[in-house]
Amino acid sequence: MIRFVLRRILTAIPIGLIVTLGVFALVFAMPGDPLRELAGDKPIPAAVLAAKRAQFHLDDPFIVQYLLSMKDILTGNFGTTFAGADIRDQLALRIPVTLKLTLLANAFQWTLGLFFGIYAGFKRNGLIDKSLLLATLVLLAVPGLVAYFAAQYVFGVELKWFPVSGVLEGFPKSYLLPALVIGVLGFAGLARLMRTSIVETVNADFVKTARAKGLGEQRVLWRHILPNALLPIVTFVGIDLAGMFGGAIITESIFNLPGLGQFMFQAIKLKEGGVVVLLSTLAFISFILINLLVDLLYGVLDPRVRNV
Amino acid sequence: MTRHGEVLLKVDDLTVEFDTPQGPVRAVDGVSWQVRAGETLAILGESGSGKSVSTQALTGILEMPPGRIVSGTAQYRGADLIAMTVKERRKIVGDRITMVFQDSLSALNPVQSVGTQIAECYRVHRGLSKQDALRRAAEMLDQVRIPAAAKRVRDYPHEFSGGMRQRVMLAMALALDPDVLIADEPTTALDVTVQAQILELIAELQAERDMGVVLITHDLGVVSDVADNVVVMYAGQVVERASTAAALEYPVHPYTEGLLGSMPSADLKGQELPTIPGVPPSLRAIPSGCAFRTRCPIAIDDCAAAVPPLLRVAPGRDAACIRRPSIAAKEAV
Repeated sequence: MIRFVLRRILTAIPIGLIVTLGVFALVFAMPGDPLRELAGDKPIPAAVLAAKRAQFHLDDPFIVQYLLSMKDILTGNFGTTFAGADIRDQLALRIPVTLKLTLLANAFQWTLGLFFGIYAGFKRNGLIDKSLLLATLVLLAVPGLVAYFAAQYVFGVELKWFPVSGVLEGFPKSYLLPALVIGVLGFAGLARLMRTSIVETVNADFVKTARAKGLGEQRVLWRHILPNALLPIVTFVGIDLAGMFGGAIITESIFNLPGLGQFMFQAIKLKEGGVVVLLSTLAFISFILINLLVDLLYGVLDPRVRNV
Repeated sequence: MTRHGEVLLKVDDLTVEFDTPQGPVRAVDGVSWQVRAGETLAILGESGSGKSVSTQALTGILEMPPGRIVSGTAQYRGADLIAMTVKERRKIVGDRITMVFQDSLSALNPVQSVGTQIAECYRVHRGLSKQDALRRAAEMLDQVRIPAAAKRVRDYPHEFSGGMRQRVMLAMALALDPDVLIADEPTTALDVTVQAQILELIAELQAERDMGVVLITHDLGVVSDVADNVVVMYAGQVVERASTAAALEYPVHPYTEGLLGSMPSADLKGQELPTIPGVPPSLRAIPSGCAFRTRCPIAIDDCAAAVPPLLRVAPGRDAACIRRPSIAAKEAV
């Protein structure tokens, strides 16, 4: 177990190097001068520009810039953004925003997905099952961007049920609409996977054995079918949670939530390689941790993959 | 307690159909048999002959729909399993009548330890506490001769070999000391030596408990080894019913005869193994009259007229063939 965790962490190191290097290279390759962009139309004195360029090592070769950024990240010396904001303060403000959004969205997605998936799986070909099939088909066909803007317009601007954007109204009110949209869009895949998995498990031989043991229907469902049907869902969790940060970039920008996603979006726009790499590293670490947890959980649920 | 020789399970005129988009398909057609305490009854037939479907239907574990019991009774000590409510049946199936299936790897829940799965019988049917149930489960594993049973009770199905897993299945089926054990091809997935061990174990445990055993198989070797009586099924119908010794010695129905003839033996060394020509009919297109007539060496035009009834050809044995309404008639042909 401990060896397994250590091995996973060790293999994460080279992957981390490749990911950060790749991300940094992509930002470096973007056209345009970040400082001039920051200044906009205003003229910048050459001396100021030179000082800033020196401060952010913009004139150094690519690899030196990358190594300096990595050194800053690893020593926890995050510095400031081009605009002068302290990155450590920014993170402290922004991480809770993204966490709240992601957790709320996941709560919606999991409650809806598991509830409808399990229900539809157990009561196959019923009314709920058939409506679910149709509803998920529609949801899966709607692009996220369209759904976000449509929801913002209908429920925020027109019906005024939710704040249109920003976090002024605090948690959970400001987060409800974006989280609901993410949750509803994500629930479709989850519910269908859950349903299919149950349908497959229902016909398994061991379910027949359970019935032959004279067990009640409820016991067969909850003790024999569900624990097996949940296994593919666990794999889905890891992949899905990892995608949440990527989704946050879009959602936070549309709903103007000052979280990490929005920070990332701004940093990419300004070509701030250091910030992009820092945020990518954060995303990467959380990705590794989540997947490690998922793998450990999988081992708990399925004895066949223990100690692998 | 069971009296030796008491009729425990009596199936009468059982007919099962499956509803398919192309209309109903009759998988089991008017099947009757019975099993007594201490007796081993073999149900012999090819795949698709309805042997598993009939036992699954009477124990209520057949998926219904698409399956449907059209007619028939299955009496356990006088109480009809088919007519009773699901709740009443659950008190008998799983407790007094238990089952063992063919593929023990898929027939055991992969994410529960074998101990938990055996203990579940005691928990549900006897209301034992978790610890007591687990202790009894370990005792059961010991009874089916699994080494270091007390330790292995916490192991999972995939950690056992095929033979050991089938012993686990047996332990689970015999945990509550049932009156009737329905073993659905219990040794088909095992290699020959392990197969013999399992059959021997079943026979031993049966003798200890005076239990009735219904052994579903397609293997004549298995039948001749352990069965007292045999019911031969073809295309959903019983074509011959006899004591094993009589059936092997002197098969009456041409299908049974064909099966016996295609068994490898020392006499046939160097020769090509005889087979029954043709393939079993699809249940969608069973020939009119006798289902076997298209493959039968002695078929005549009259065979197509009506389904041959099961006739008493000698005391204690029946066969469904109009060409051979009695043992004497067979000799005459």
